[in-house]
Amino acid sequence: MNNLARFNLAKQVKLYITKGIQDILRLNSKLKIGMLILLVISALAILEPVINQAILGPISPITPGIFKPLLKPSREHLLGTDLLGRDLLALSLHGLKYSFLIGIVAGFLSSFIGIVIGFISGYKGGIYDSILRTITDFMIIIPTWPILAILATYIKFMRIEGLAMILAIFTWPLSARIIRGQVLSLKERPYVDLAKVTNLSDFEIIFLELMPNILPYIGVGIGNSVIGAVLAETGLEVIGLGPGNIVTLGTLLNWALGFGAVIMGNWNILIAPVLFLISIFLSFNLVNVGLDEIYNPRLKKVTGE
Amino acid sequence: MNQPLLEVKNLTKVYRIGGLLSGRTVKAIDSVSFQIPSDKPKIIALVGESGSGKSTIARIILGLLQPTSGEVIYKGRNILEWLKKNKLEYYKEVQPIFQDPYGIYNPFYRVERVLELAVKKFKLSSNREDTRKLILKAMEDIGLRPEDILGRYPHQLSGGERQRLMLVRILLIKPNLIIADEPISMIDVSLRAMFLNYLISFKDKYNISSIFITHDLNVASYVADDILVLCHGRIVEEGPKDEVITEPLHPYTKLLTSSIPIPDPTKRWKEQLDLTSIESFKKLKVEKGCVFFARCPFASEKCRNETPPFLEIKTGRKVACFLYL
Amino acid sequence: MEKVKLLEVKNLKVYYNSIWGDYKSVDDVSFIAYEGEVLSIAGESGCGKSTLVDGILGLIKPPGYIPSGEVIFEGKDLLKLSSEELRKIRWTKIAYVPQGAMNSLNPVIKIEEQMIDSILDHTNISREEARKLAISRLKEVGLPVEVAEMYPHELSGGMKQRVIIATAIALKPKLVIADEPTTALDVVAQKGILQLLRSLKEDYGITVIVVSHDFAVHAQIADRIAIMYAGKIVEVGPIYDVFKNPLHPYTKGLISSIPVIGKSYIKGIPGLAPSPLNWPSGCRFHPRCPFASEKCRNVEPILKEFNSERYVACHLSR
Repeated sequence: MNNLARFNLAKQVKLYITKGIQDILRLNSKLKIGMLILLVISALAILEPVINQAILGPISPITPGIFKPLLKPSREHLLGTDLLGRDLLALSLHGLKYSFLIGIVAGFLSSFIGIVIGFISGYKGGIYDSILRTITDFMIIIPTWPILAILATYIKFMRIEGLAMILAIFTWPLSARIIRGQVLSLKERPYVDLAKVTNLSDFEIIFLELMPNILPYIGVGIGNSVIGAVLAETGLEVIGLGPGNIVTLGTLLNWALGFGAVIMGNWNILIAPVLFLISIFLSFNLVNVGLDEIYNPRLKKVTGE
Repeated sequence: MNQPLLEVKNLTKVYRIGGLLSGRTVKAIDSVSFQIPSDKPKIIALVGESGSGKSTIARIILGLLQPTSGEVIYKGRNILEWLKKNKLEYYKEVQPIFQDPYGIYNPFYRVERVLELAVKKFKLSSNREDTRKLILKAMEDIGLRPEDILGRYPHQLSGGERQRLMLVRILLIKPNLIIADEPISMIDVSLRAMFLNYLISFKDKYNISSIFITHDLNVASYVADDILVLCHGRIVEEGPKDEVITEPLHPYTKLLTSSIPIPDPTKRWKEQLDLTSIESFKKLKVEKGCVFFARCPFASEKCRNETPPFLEIKTGRKVACFLYL
Repeated sequence: MEKVKLLEVKNLKVYYNSIWGDYKSVDDVSFIAYEGEVLSIAGESGCGKSTLVDGILGLIKPPGYIPSGEVIFEGKDLLKLSSEELRKIRWTKIAYVPQGAMNSLNPVIKIEEQMIDSILDHTNISREEARKLAISRLKEVGLPVEVAEMYPHELSGGMKQRVIIATAIALKPKLVIADEPTTALDVVAQKGILQLLRSLKEDYGITVIVVSHDFAVHAQIADRIAIMYAGKIVEVGPIYDVFKNPLHPYTKGLISSIPVIGKSYIKGIPGLAPSPLNWPSGCRFHPRCPFASEKCRNVEPILKEFNSERYVACHLSR
């Protein structure tokens, strides 16, 4: 407890933030563009209730039969309506919100599990490492997607949190493996030895010495997990195995395919969900690549020093 | 006799190589024993080639590595027990200077953090103003200008400056024993002298003893009082530096001293090495017998089979070789 | 005996582009290597000695560039040759032993095969001849014939370095350039390598240029020494003269900084090496020089003749 008390959380967080801002100032363009797209998507997802309030009033966008079915894009309905007479723009924003939300919740949850397990495994080593690594490897080997599909057929109705949790349980091992590798290499650094002979506790070494240097990898890990979760959820929905009560971009794609949108030439039904999905993947991937270019020393440009 | 400052007893470290199930092991150090007396401060040079186990000994004394067997006694107390009970107290006594002046700084922080942490953890001052004063005073003593150093990140300083900041840190903590592991091998020639001179002045001014680990006998002869020669994990010779260098006893020490490049063109090597026999192929561990057996010109059947005892030829002069039995 | 010029470097500059401006790593360096001598290039880290070697061998890659200078070897300016012509000259006429070369051996290929491959890369002989050549060169560097059949991990560091040297001299070049050839080697192996480099000159008349920060290395094997500081050569001369009577204050400082058995006090040079981005004005050593005057601060000294064999770049020497 002594160490906990002396560990100045506020100061450390302030330092993380200032360093983070410094890093953002010297960002490369990939990271900038990625963050910009991410910002737009987040804004759309967060403002979805407000926007849909403006478009539809108090009616839920998934309620069928509000408008005429299969309207072409017009001033009232920018993307037209679907077979059940729902406004496609409103519907897509609704789907974006839930896809994004599930991705974020599952991604962060999975990264959190991954970070904790990765740190314990890498830092403690020995028997802890052996056990945790075996579990991690096992989780990586088992085919995630078929299991998700089987689970989904049994669970027809579930809440967002439940779905996110299930996705997280199957995606944490990758970030655990990345974090473990980083911890393993960083804990051999001389500055960790110096910290030990300066009487820093394990807790302080993890949070003061190791964590700051792993932050970029944590960022990459979260990005990968979010993408993984969105992709898995979309995949389930597209083949019609998603929980029926949650409407996401994947559900919309499934409906669109069911209506035969591609064959009928109703591109307006498909376009928004597809664009939103691409934007989500693109933004996180750009952020990941950008972070990697900044922090991966092998890619760092030689300055002649 | 007084209780020694540091006593290393039969230290052995065995590494397992390969996976958990592989039975192969390699001995990094084998029954290493030596003492540092407490009556007057000394700099002891631990000289050996790469792979001789020098750094393993340093890390064990610093409590960063567990020995397989044997013990380290500091001021009469076993350090493992001491570290379990009160790490702070032990590290107030024994402090390192590491080889790599680059890796020793966490790239995330400004360089002065290593000094501030030392002051804070070792409770050297009670308020910020005192901390600042202490650090500035110590920097002045090491001849560093605060305006060149403070507020910088590690990559903005040269290797020489970073290694001197480590001396500032030592000066703040004022331990009784410094474990310096190849501290000057990564800094510039023109700055090495200064570093060594500070280490000597620590001994003279503050009674700080040092274990100075190096592969360079020129450096060892300048900085040390006594020399321990390490060969493949065993100590083969011990003695005052002048005696070890001018009258080496062990055939390995003889080979070493005759191979020292003297930085003076008028003192070039006279005898040439026989290139075909100076180096042995990388071989597996030596289970028994003398560690230098394979390269020794005087090796006999006995040397192959029996480990030579560490004989005291005269006071303070020891050698592990059957030639002196 | 009249000395024959083998390699002449004239006013060579090597700069590196960066967003902060040009790193002037090598800034107007001239020197001559004569046939059949061991020439040392000494200097501390960051003085530009390795960059100089890269410049001579045409190994500068962007962001590096050579704004001006000539490297004359056997009457030809190497800097004007095409990369194909340069590649031919390297190995057949000029061999290069880069820093840490011993760690660049391929771990899964036998020593012999690696040597044969690099011999065949540079000359048109049969594989069998190349094999014979490789084995005879291994013998010349004092390695037993079994080494040919071994893999790099079975050899010690010094032995690997000798394999590298054996490969470098396979085609009996006229010039061998070795960058830090003994760094990271143990003293005994170091002595072996230095002895070998010296014998290249004595037994085969090969000119050897040794680049190192370690003055003990130079003292043991060099005939002449060139001392670099901050991208320039500050002093050149026969090794005995330079050690006995150093002319440049930097050389004096360096020699008094080296720990030698039997020396009871060494001093060091105060201050720190400057940055190649922003060399000091005037004499680049003036901020650390105990004798610096107003002139040293403003006027850059040029490397001028002190006597027929010695050159120094210092306003104080006459």
